[in-house]
Amino acid sequence: MNCSATDCLLQMYDEQHDLEDYQSGVPRWCTGCGDNAILAAVQRLCRDEGLRPEKTVFVSGIGCSSRFPHYMKTYGFHGIHGRALPVAEGVKMARPDLTVFVNTGDGDCCSIGAAHWIHAIRYNMNLTVFLHDNQIYGLTKKQASPTSPIGTKSNTTPRGSYLDALNPLSVTLGVANASFVAQAVDWIPESLFEIVKAAYHHKGFSFVRILQRCPEWLPKSLDPWMQDPNSVQLLHHENALQISAGLSRVYKNQLRHDPLDMNRAREIASSHDVIPVGILYQNRDIPRYEETRQTGVLRTTATVRKGFEAELDKYSV
Amino acid sequence: MDADLQAHVAFYLTGKRLNSQLQAIDGLGLRPALFAGYRDLTRLRYDFPLVLLTDRPDGAFVEPLSGLIDAILDKIARGDDGERIRKHVLRLEQDIRVLVAGGAGGAFSALWDQAAAPLIGQDKLIADSLSRARVNLKIDGDVVDCDAALPFRLLGHAWGLTQEQRAKKFGENVRRLVLKLSDIIKADFANSNAGKSAKILKASFGAGPMDHFDFEAMSRILTQAAPKVSLSKSRRQRVEDLLAVLKSQKFFPSSDAEAGTSYSFAFDSCSSALKAYRERLPKAIELARAVAIAELEIRGEYSEAKHSSLFESFGENGLEASELAFLPDYLVRLDAGKLSGAEQNTLTEILSADLPIKILVQTDDVIEESPVGNGHLAFALRSRQLASMAMGVNEVFVLQSPAANLYPMRQQIQRGLDYAGPALFSVFSGAAKTTGGLPPYLIGAAALESRVFPAFTFDPSAGLNWASRFSLAGNPQAELDWPIREFSYEDEKNQAVTEQIPFTLIDFVACDSRYGKHFASVPRVRWDDTLTPIGDAVARERRVQVETVPCLMMVDPENRLQRILVDEKLIREARRCRSMWNSLQELGGIHNSHVERLLAQEKKRGEASAVPANVSPPVQPTAATAASVAPPTVPATVEAVAQESERSPDEAYIETARCSTCNECTQINNKMFAYDGNKQAYIADVSAGTYAQLVEAAENCQVSIIHPGKPRNPNEAGLEELLKRAELFA
Repeated sequence: MNCSATDCLLQMYDEQHDLEDYQSGVPRWCTGCGDNAILAAVQRLCRDEGLRPEKTVFVSGIGCSSRFPHYMKTYGFHGIHGRALPVAEGVKMARPDLTVFVNTGDGDCCSIGAAHWIHAIRYNMNLTVFLHDNQIYGLTKKQASPTSPIGTKSNTTPRGSYLDALNPLSVTLGVANASFVAQAVDWIPESLFEIVKAAYHHKGFSFVRILQRCPEWLPKSLDPWMQDPNSVQLLHHENALQISAGLSRVYKNQLRHDPLDMNRAREIASSHDVIPVGILYQNRDIPRYEETRQTGVLRTTATVRKGFEAELDKYSV
Repeated sequence: MDADLQAHVAFYLTGKRLNSQLQAIDGLGLRPALFAGYRDLTRLRYDFPLVLLTDRPDGAFVEPLSGLIDAILDKIARGDDGERIRKHVLRLEQDIRVLVAGGAGGAFSALWDQAAAPLIGQDKLIADSLSRARVNLKIDGDVVDCDAALPFRLLGHAWGLTQEQRAKKFGENVRRLVLKLSDIIKADFANSNAGKSAKILKASFGAGPMDHFDFEAMSRILTQAAPKVSLSKSRRQRVEDLLAVLKSQKFFPSSDAEAGTSYSFAFDSCSSALKAYRERLPKAIELARAVAIAELEIRGEYSEAKHSSLFESFGENGLEASELAFLPDYLVRLDAGKLSGAEQNTLTEILSADLPIKILVQTDDVIEESPVGNGHLAFALRSRQLASMAMGVNEVFVLQSPAANLYPMRQQIQRGLDYAGPALFSVFSGAAKTTGGLPPYLIGAAALESRVFPAFTFDPSAGLNWASRFSLAGNPQAELDWPIREFSYEDEKNQAVTEQIPFTLIDFVACDSRYGKHFASVPRVRWDDTLTPIGDAVARERRVQVETVPCLMMVDPENRLQRILVDEKLIREARRCRSMWNSLQELGGIHNSHVERLLAQEKKRGEASAVPANVSPPVQPTAATAASVAPPTVPATVEAVAQESERSPDEAYIETARCSTCNECTQINNKMFAYDGNKQAYIADVSAGTYAQLVEAAENCQVSIIHPGKPRNPNEAGLEELLKRAELFA
């Protein structure tokens, strides 16, 4: 590339970070918890992509998953129940230069925060969202969540839950402007990392549902899938993820799937017998809300005051 | 040889009219035959006059009058009265053209109104057509005709717009930088104890009843609780210096009235432009440096250890043109006829030093007489030399064109103005005083047709080779020596005759009153077969036995055909002109001698050889080639399998790549189990723990990837049971 001396000077920022630079404290999650795998994958992403800690934000709601920002040595916002997405949207709107991640759980996102979730998908702002789905309320010691499989016995459903679980993938795929929908499982770290990486690189609302084991409250529920590699179906495509030779040896159940094929994505999302892992849908052409709202006008104090006064003047008598 | 031919030959060879029947052409009002149809340009729809546009979203800076009228007609001349509207608006267009040809100028809208006023009074229908068209006249700008002032007006206008756009972009960038830099200072104040004083806190809450709020207490809490991090002295100084430089720059007009007047960038001489450039260079470097540092500062990437020493010497050896491309370009307007030797030297210095200076060299006379004098004919073509010389410098954008052809060259003009480096625009106005009243447009067009002043561009930004950089586009029939035009006339017997005649340098010279002595008019009665077309004589390379004489077809003011003898000096000049054109053609890839020579050789070789040249015999694999084939690379998986198979079945190991970082094993023994760089577990030291711990870890592992192998210590307690449990993880 032809680059002038000034350009070279401007590109001279090459700070290297180690994994430890992103680690903060010892996670309070239970030993064996799948959240640890997600944390390791995300810290690895930050290191590999050279994300500057002071330019990175993790926003969460409430739940086991939402302790995530505490363990990242970046900016973070441990918010209120179900409101991780609106907070993250606000951060992105005011500071588009920041990299914003959202960590939310099946209760936080799919129950109390469901309304925000639906609209955040439609707004398609450039956020990377991880839904830590352990299918149970863990922090409050075992109550059924919207994604608990039918028949799950918990403190709130002692005779087993009565309804079929909500499928976060098919819900997301059903909302207008969905632009990136993927599924990962915490027990295949290589594919988890690749999916997290693809989600980070997607410009738009990248939604990754991560099926996550809860060894404390639902210790055996995912064992049938974890112990039988054939019950996990790896999705691959030249426009999405490719499967490494190492993974191929273990996971032989593979499916070539074009991430632009929405109808097929919805079918795959609804699979019952196997867990699809990979990118179900990706459309890079969907506009991002924060970009459509950019006016190019500098937000000086004077501009803000003028706009504010103009609004107030509408109501003056 | 009869007496007539003898007299003709004598004129051809010596330029002397021995025979009284050969008349001088001075005062006959002749013009080249091909000009017969262009007596009144106001009756023609062509590129001129032009309208210089501003504020066009598509970036167009000029449109012909006819183009703007057509755009209006496309909108309104529809339906039943479409034809009527078209007729009336075109009549208005012609009247505007007459006004402009008569010397009127100014805004398009004003000229429209001026031309429309008498027409509207004539007829209600005309008034209706014109008023409907006028409503759709949304674009305005100055109207210019093809005259001596055109090159500078057009180029100056395009340059001005380019600088305006650059100023806008720069202004936006500087406002952003200033705001963000000021934010750094403001944030520091807000974080300081002074910024958290009760007074400031109260003021930040705005007006209103705040008596019940204890700002003193708030101030106390904030000053004690918040971390004490403040701007370092050197960073504050740096940011303040940057703000001072950005706010006081004079390269672009600033909205801040106190910033003072900005620099001017238009000059009338190379020396004054170069002087200004030299004087302003330190300021330009300071500004470029400030913009770069400010960018780093607001991104939070400025590191004193890394950047300070580099920026101290920033621009010490000058900056590349591309690094100064955000600043305005200089524009110099030169008159080729008055170019002094010293000025020419400075011009060369500017062009070869890669300075962001755009130079317009205007030539009004391309066939000035040779300074050698004594009837010596060698058209100096000064400005052509300048353009060729500039191309030799190799990194200069060069555009040459007659003014009449500037509209078709508008995109190239814009490319030249956008080019980050020197550009030379050599333009022939066509407004010489010796052309016997022919309009400059016609003279300019004739200069292009006759290859006297060909149009070309040399754009160093378009690529690395001549094929991408040099273009002859815009020249008529560029593949020929001279453009061939069809010419029809009626002969003595009223029969229509059509001939294909070339338009050459001689036609161009015939328009100029200074060179009348090289022409002689032959009376109609003397016309015979010995008068041959000019093209044949020019094409003949050597002088042969003179039995025929070249003659030119011209028309008199009544459009009667005349045959005019031409002397040999002019024929020689025409050959010289053609030879210069041929050189340009070669640069432009037309009849390139290297290519033609190679083609001829290839053809010869192809004919000589029985085997077709382009089919190579099949290559047989030989021992040497087979040996040199590299062994296939071993896929990573195969390697991994090999590693695994090398491992002894008794050895304990973890499938690290599948580890889900759940902490189970590390909590059992963090000396035996450790995390690697990706936070995935491996056995760091198998001797750091017991076999029992290995087995326990294997059992607890969420993803069952720990394989305990066989015990190292045969004396460990309970081995039998442990081995049984470990079997599950073999």
